[in-house]
Amino acid sequence: MYWEICGKIKDAEMKHFFTFCALMIFAEQAQASSLTIPKFADETQSSGLHSVYAGEWRYMVGGGVATFDCNGDGFPDVFIAGGENKAKLYINKSKRGGALKFVETQSGAEFAHVTGAFPIDINGDGITDLVVLRSGESKVMKGLGNCKFAEANKEWNIDGGDAWGLAFSATWEIGNTWPTLAFGTYIDRNFENSPWGHCTDNWLLRPSAVGAGYGPRIALTPSYCTQSMLFTDWNRSGTPSLRVSNDREYYEGGQEQLWKVLPGQAPTVYTQAEGWKFTRLWGMGIASADIDGSGYPAYFLTSMADQRMQILAGGPGKPAYNEAEFSLGTTAHRPYAGKDQRPSTGWHAQFEDVNNDGRYDLFIAKGNVDRMPDFAQKDPSNLLLQNEDGKFSEVGDKANMLNFDEARGASVADFNLDGKLDVLIINRHTNVRLFRNVSEKLGHWLNLRLENAGSNHSGIGAWIEVMHKGKVMRREITVGGGHASGQLGFWHFGLGDDDTGEVRVVWPDGTKSDWPDVKVDRFYVVDQAKGLTEWLPH
Amino acid sequence: MKCRGFCIFLFLVLGVQSVQASALSQEQVLSTWYGLILKLVRHTATYSPPLASRNFAYLGVASFEAMASGDDHMVSLAGQLHELKPLPPRETGKVYDESLVLNATMAQSVENFFGNTGPSGQNALRATSTTMSAQAAQAVPADVTSRSVAYGKMIATHIFNWSKNDGGATITNTGFPLKYELRQGPGFWQPTNQQALQHMPLLPNWEKNRPFAMPAAATCDLPAPPDYSEDKTSEFYKQALEVRDVVIAITPDQKAIARFWSDDPMLSPTPPGHWVSIVMQISSRNHLPAAKTAEALARVGIAVADAFIGCWHTKFEYDLVRPVTYIKKAIDPKWETLLITPPFPEYPSGHSSQSGAAASVLTAMFGEHFAFDDATHVNDNIPARHFESFNQAADEAAVSRLYGGIHFRAAIERGLEQGQCIGKYAVKLKMLK
Repeated sequence: MYWEICGKIKDAEMKHFFTFCALMIFAEQAQASSLTIPKFADETQSSGLHSVYAGEWRYMVGGGVATFDCNGDGFPDVFIAGGENKAKLYINKSKRGGALKFVETQSGAEFAHVTGAFPIDINGDGITDLVVLRSGESKVMKGLGNCKFAEANKEWNIDGGDAWGLAFSATWEIGNTWPTLAFGTYIDRNFENSPWGHCTDNWLLRPSAVGAGYGPRIALTPSYCTQSMLFTDWNRSGTPSLRVSNDREYYEGGQEQLWKVLPGQAPTVYTQAEGWKFTRLWGMGIASADIDGSGYPAYFLTSMADQRMQILAGGPGKPAYNEAEFSLGTTAHRPYAGKDQRPSTGWHAQFEDVNNDGRYDLFIAKGNVDRMPDFAQKDPSNLLLQNEDGKFSEVGDKANMLNFDEARGASVADFNLDGKLDVLIINRHTNVRLFRNVSEKLGHWLNLRLENAGSNHSGIGAWIEVMHKGKVMRREITVGGGHASGQLGFWHFGLGDDDTGEVRVVWPDGTKSDWPDVKVDRFYVVDQAKGLTEWLPH
Repeated sequence: MKCRGFCIFLFLVLGVQSVQASALSQEQVLSTWYGLILKLVRHTATYSPPLASRNFAYLGVASFEAMASGDDHMVSLAGQLHELKPLPPRETGKVYDESLVLNATMAQSVENFFGNTGPSGQNALRATSTTMSAQAAQAVPADVTSRSVAYGKMIATHIFNWSKNDGGATITNTGFPLKYELRQGPGFWQPTNQQALQHMPLLPNWEKNRPFAMPAAATCDLPAPPDYSEDKTSEFYKQALEVRDVVIAITPDQKAIARFWSDDPMLSPTPPGHWVSIVMQISSRNHLPAAKTAEALARVGIAVADAFIGCWHTKFEYDLVRPVTYIKKAIDPKWETLLITPPFPEYPSGHSSQSGAAASVLTAMFGEHFAFDDATHVNDNIPARHFESFNQAADEAAVSRLYGGIHFRAAIERGLEQGQCIGKYAVKLKMLK
């Protein structure tokens, strides 16, 4: 009931009631169904995937994966960073609901020194392009179709820099047909023997005012050794800001950042006077989701020891966040299994509903930086399920996901289109690990993909809302965040035992679709002009 | 026996024979290694302020002993510091290079005390060691080099072995116990943030460590803080109200002071490292001879290490609640501190104790009115501050914790007194003839 009321309050733009709504929703959820633990099977060996994120100091961070459909069959393909090894593109050959199968293919993006990658359709031609982050020049690869790519830095006047590229995000600023791109970089590689205080500048690229392509870089000074960045509409103003998570190990005088990026204006950082709190952590990755039904994103920031969960504190007027990791059970500060009780190290994080109960769960990739004796060497990745009361519980071992790899990037996606989310983890020094979700009795689900003709083909910046039994589960469609890992394609929603659902999209221009009824356990493509169409896997 | 007189003559001439032929001066050796040490302290997760103080003491003693072994004007601390036995002697009649001895001692000691640093720290340590060893050995005969390096390592090993049974050698879980039973009652310390690791107090047994110069952890214990009370007329309430009001009406200068002395672990060289940084800045500005710098580093290291032991003894004796807990409960639920509240009991202030101790030592060495600029945090965009004396700096470091909203006045004032008491034991050490 409160989900519905709060949804209507949102419509009436009475956003300051969100805290009340969140509390009431939690109370209502406490009466809902019990926790369902999913089951996973390790299919790494049989999957055909073999990629090791290799290298020493210059590859102690990074190791991401881009997950997207590059051949139009609907199945998510993966482009995996290799560090000193060459990056690889694998085409997904899985059968629907079957075992996970991948076959390597030559894509034109098999570079060495790749740290991460993000899929995005930059030129609006309906073919996904690929941003390849590198230790060196980062590359924007123009999608040619059928999983082939060509370098586009020159053609589109992309300044890929010559730095330790590690983070990326993008947004379509109002009035632009091409996205504004943000590149995040880490330590100046020239100072390997004394790297502290040597962070390199991040930068924005805005579409050129004349013709296609981009203008000169706009430095995001100061920059503080960034590992993750995300354009996100934190206050639902319609204009996303750029959240930047930075590694306090290497910056001097730095902090976490939120950049105000207003059309036609130079970016500026939010200040303490504007409500931004002075926060410093070993920022590794950003995950965001409206986890409490408030209508606003919460931000989960991976770090060392305690991971951070930030909830908007005082409404949309100020970017002030309260820490909530302890009260929500998401500290994940030390290994939950094994004998090693030293503090943990978190990397990629992603909110998804892995048990289809209609609540966001949280996956955290974990692993020692490398020979850091003060931190756990055997540091299993976490799978935290959200309970009825809004708190999270660890189930990684019960879900058969327990392992002690040195994880970095990851992707939680439905690789075999069976409505159950699988997990791909990229590891330092060892092969990737792939878990198929083999749960037998999960709830219903919907997989939705946004699609538009022309620019912003994938509806980046839109919010998808799925209502069932009066509850609204929201997802902001973004490019960025995570740890050097991004994905594009179908977005997954669990529905629990509800066999009906309604879907609405709040598009980046603010227009809202109706709430058409949809059949559950289906795939739909939502077009801003044409509405909702069921999509059937080939 | 006939040669007795001649032998004594030979011994006097050759017994402590040394040359200063290295391309590096001892001043350069100290400056380079302490520059790296201050960075490693910041970037090694185990290095909470108490551990940092301990290891500054051992590193200070190591460098001092390396120099004292070749300088007749310096007096070894063996026998003066608890359980420090006489250091190994040099080979009679052999030539040593003093810079090589000192460099070898420092290189080995930094490796010993920063074994837990991460890959970047290890890279920096290796690079510094390689560069310094090569430079120090330039133009020095091979036999002198090998002998000097071996002896320097012997000094480092002696100090490291001495450190191993002091109670603070092994730090697990970055100093936070896995189990700890909190005392129940409104006046006792409670966790103050959302980080699970810090829901246990930092290093609750630190008081059990062997002191360096002071007789025992309780030697400079303090009277109890004001009685806990939520009565608005009580001293406790008044002191809490002062903290609340100061933070609410904080001035730009007070805020700058709070930030300047914040010295958060993993974001700075820590509070004891701040005082070591002051010593190194003065050493550079005044072109102090290496012996004087080494003496100051050893005395400051010993003083702050003993101060943390004494302070932790008192902290866990009274186990007092932090202002943020009390103020939110009894005065203003929405009040927030300016600085992050450290995860251990309130009384007395560690900053105050260790600053009082450091200032006592430095005042004794350099005088009551020794003015200096402190640029410890300029790389973090925190401007330098000027002080007319060490005591003025210590007073400011102490009161900064009130401005930050994390200490009551009693903890600050009594903490300084405790530090001054503890510092006297480091001042009494005989280090020069």
